[in-house]
Amino acid sequence: MIKVDASLCLGCHSCSNVCPSQNIVRTETGVTRSIHWKRCKEECDLCVELCPAKALTLVPFDESVPEPEVCFYLVACKICGSRYATEPMLKRIESVIPANLQKDSEGLDWIRVCPVCRRTIEAERATRQMVLGRSRKSP
Amino acid sequence: MPVYIDISRCIGCRSCEVACQRVHGGSGHVNVHFVGDSASVPILCHHCEEASCTMACFSGALYKDGDKTVFDVEKCTGCGLCRLACPFGVVWTDKIAHKCDLCEGLAEVPTCVTTCPANALSTDFDLASRRARARAARVAAQGGRR
Amino acid sequence: MTKVLVPTVCPYCGAGCGFFISVEKERATGIEYMPDHPVSEGALCSKGNAALEVLCHQERFTSPLKRKGEGWARISWEEAIDLVAKGLGDAIKKNGPGSIAFLASSKCSNEENYLIEKLARLLGSPHVDNCARLCHAPSVVGLNRTLGAAGMTNPIPDIASSKCVFIIGSNLAENHPVISRWIHRAKDEGAVVIAADPRVTHTSWMADVFLQLKPGTDVALLNGMAHVIIKEGLVDRDYIAQRTRGFEELKESVGDYTPEKVAEITGVPAGDIVRAARAYAISPASSILYSMGITQHTTGTDNVQAVSDLALICGHLGKPGTGVMPLRGQNNVQGACDMGALAEFYPGYKKADDSETIRYFSSAWRTEGLPLGPGLTATQMIDAAGTGDIKGMYVVGEDPANSDPCSHNVHSALDNLDFLVVQDIFMTATAQLADVVLPGAVWAEKEGSYTNTERRVQWSCRAIDPPGAALSDLEIVCKVARSLGLDFYYPDAASVLAEINRTVPQYAGITRERLERDGLVWPCPTVDHPGTPILHSSGFKLAEGRACIVHVPYRPAAEVASWDYPFILTTGRVAVHHNAGSMTRRSPSLISREPDLYVEINTADAARLKVADGDEVTITTPRGETEAYARLTDKVKRGVVFMPFHFPGTNILTTDITDPEARIPEFKVAACKISRRD
Repeated sequence: MIKVDASLCLGCHSCSNVCPSQNIVRTETGVTRSIHWKRCKEECDLCVELCPAKALTLVPFDESVPEPEVCFYLVACKICGSRYATEPMLKRIESVIPANLQKDSEGLDWIRVCPVCRRTIEAERATRQMVLGRSRKSP
Repeated sequence: MPVYIDISRCIGCRSCEVACQRVHGGSGHVNVHFVGDSASVPILCHHCEEASCTMACFSGALYKDGDKTVFDVEKCTGCGLCRLACPFGVVWTDKIAHKCDLCEGLAEVPTCVTTCPANALSTDFDLASRRARARAARVAAQGGRR
Repeated sequence: MTKVLVPTVCPYCGAGCGFFISVEKERATGIEYMPDHPVSEGALCSKGNAALEVLCHQERFTSPLKRKGEGWARISWEEAIDLVAKGLGDAIKKNGPGSIAFLASSKCSNEENYLIEKLARLLGSPHVDNCARLCHAPSVVGLNRTLGAAGMTNPIPDIASSKCVFIIGSNLAENHPVISRWIHRAKDEGAVVIAADPRVTHTSWMADVFLQLKPGTDVALLNGMAHVIIKEGLVDRDYIAQRTRGFEELKESVGDYTPEKVAEITGVPAGDIVRAARAYAISPASSILYSMGITQHTTGTDNVQAVSDLALICGHLGKPGTGVMPLRGQNNVQGACDMGALAEFYPGYKKADDSETIRYFSSAWRTEGLPLGPGLTATQMIDAAGTGDIKGMYVVGEDPANSDPCSHNVHSALDNLDFLVVQDIFMTATAQLADVVLPGAVWAEKEGSYTNTERRVQWSCRAIDPPGAALSDLEIVCKVARSLGLDFYYPDAASVLAEINRTVPQYAGITRERLERDGLVWPCPTVDHPGTPILHSSGFKLAEGRACIVHVPYRPAAEVASWDYPFILTTGRVAVHHNAGSMTRRSPSLISREPDLYVEINTADAARLKVADGDEVTITTPRGETEAYARLTDKVKRGVVFMPFHFPGTNILTTDITDPEARIPEFKVAACKISRRD
């Protein structure tokens, strides 16, 4: 069975996605995401191997150990307020991307903006000149 | 080698969206956005030189191959980090990640480029920059930006 | 596994884009583009890309149906054909052949339309029409009068060599998306683009000069431009002297359409009218593109004539980059008209009220007693059904209960028929009212030729078989005709085309063998003729070879805003839907992008009505009321609202007042009121 280091876990989708026997259950409420590892007897360590944070270890089966579960609050988008990621995932992104790329050309801290709003912002920037030009033509 | 967009030509017909979805079995990688009443633009992967999605990918599923950002479905765990690492919101994860693959293995030229009725998309950098210069000249000829 | 690529022509708009259907094991598995196609160059719009979604749709008819109480019973072809023969035959016996009417289909091939109108006329009924009545009937009437030929004068790729493109009453960026690539190409070469429309549209985005006129004021605008052109001496004097008649009358009649007066009528600033007029007249080659915004008015024919006047006084005809271009809305509406599926024309635009025409076809079809026209138009047929003058109708691939104006009346009129047979692919609103339903085939399931908006005749091949017991429309029409005692033995579409070659002079040289690759553009009088992409390059097919300049006074639309109905409703299309929507509303990738009926309201008007974006509102006209979602926008001016007509609700509202000559209803102007639903 699996032991979890809750301080390392990012709350990502990896382990629940790769588990061949659906022993890892991810539940989303819209505000929180919880991940629950069922006690499993298999000698499979796919989730351990594919954990981006190395938060999991394979330990011998023990009925007395409670099933591990971690729960995360989801972070709200700075712009639209929709909840789109866990804090450790965003921290992880901030740690792997060079600092100069973390602010865009207009100084926006885009990592704290949800992907939907990122697309909208990109569309607005890309068309800014065009919109200005066209609104001048038809006052 | 991204798909270059000539925004002045986009007519918002959403052909690229439908075509992309069609060739990729239902999950498209282009979104056409409308801005106010006066412009539309397809938003898709830029195949960034410094691609932050590849930096966030721990499994090696997303990587740079020359000027393309490519994706190896075999290696993807669907963790969702790339989706959060894309500054433009054009990497998606439903179970596994998907993003613009330039229709590699599906068509010689990306499907959206061929299908665009208004010729707004191209993979030709020279053409894209030539058009941009011509447009700038036109604006200048009409009395500049005012 | 072998994959075969079958060349076909897109079933949606009139641009006539080609694409290949890849077929594996008798199944259509995908679309491959056609980069060397002369019009589309491989491009396809969203509708074209979704075209295969209707092929194996679960709601397709797979067997003939007959009405059984409130529901339907599946029946055999024998029984269905017997019922049709009896239904139509009884009406003829009791009330004469003039009591039955036929609606041909601009979705069907030339061969099928030819057979449908031939069937009608051999049975003795002059009443055959198609939905061109609802889109370009004024072009047929108006352009035949002014230029002597109804159709685009120049091919679509020719737009690229234009130096001024004037788009009026057409949202081609959404309705014929591939045409915009040619406009952009013209712009790359320095062309000026002028757009006139009551709404800011995706087409007006392309424009250098945008004229946002009030709905229904097109004649005033065009007269105003003619006034400026004449007053500033920008006319082509030689062209007027050598090729036209009627200029002096026009000069006199537009004399008082000063830009200031026109500005008052249309709401377009006088300076913009002058700019547009100068740009159009001065350029070495200018083309005018128009569609439903010009034709769907009670002044539709006037509008078309005013458009061609403008081209004639500037001499912008008969050369590359010039022309008058009516953009047609359906894949084969041009062909259906060419094939004579029109109340006032036999095949090849031979006048139905001319005894010479009757003699010609009596000998061509080896028959007697062909009916002298003109018959009832599509709109008049519905009225006649309501009054009981028409007893039986045969409707092929059309949905008048949805696409005709004032649809409550259409429903009750069709209900009043003794016998209605509908041949279609889906259960449309019209099929719901039928006694017998015959399952037809879509473009990919049959072969035949289709004529696109630029008069290009293209052959579309059969890729797969129709579902279940469904048959190609050609086979069905032949079965029906034979059961009524007619000699309709055509083994395939090519044999019908061979007859068309003999009877329609414009198509004489367009044989099956020559229809590989790019197709041919009619008129093509002989088998070694290359086709005629540009019309009128050496005079006009009118008296003395001269075109007629017809002066038209401005008349206001039939309905104007009033205290009770303070808004002007105008209708149109969106990019992801097509006409009555029976196909696009069933395509998952299209309906998901535009799922509901909406109404565009100006933000200032909405504030006054206390309507917010996305609110449900009720739109009311004297004909009825419809619910829709409000979309707040500044695309429409204050006092104007817009609704797409792809959903059943819209045409409940529109008026059935028609143009006195072309009989087209005024879809584009209806006075309405709007209230929020609570």
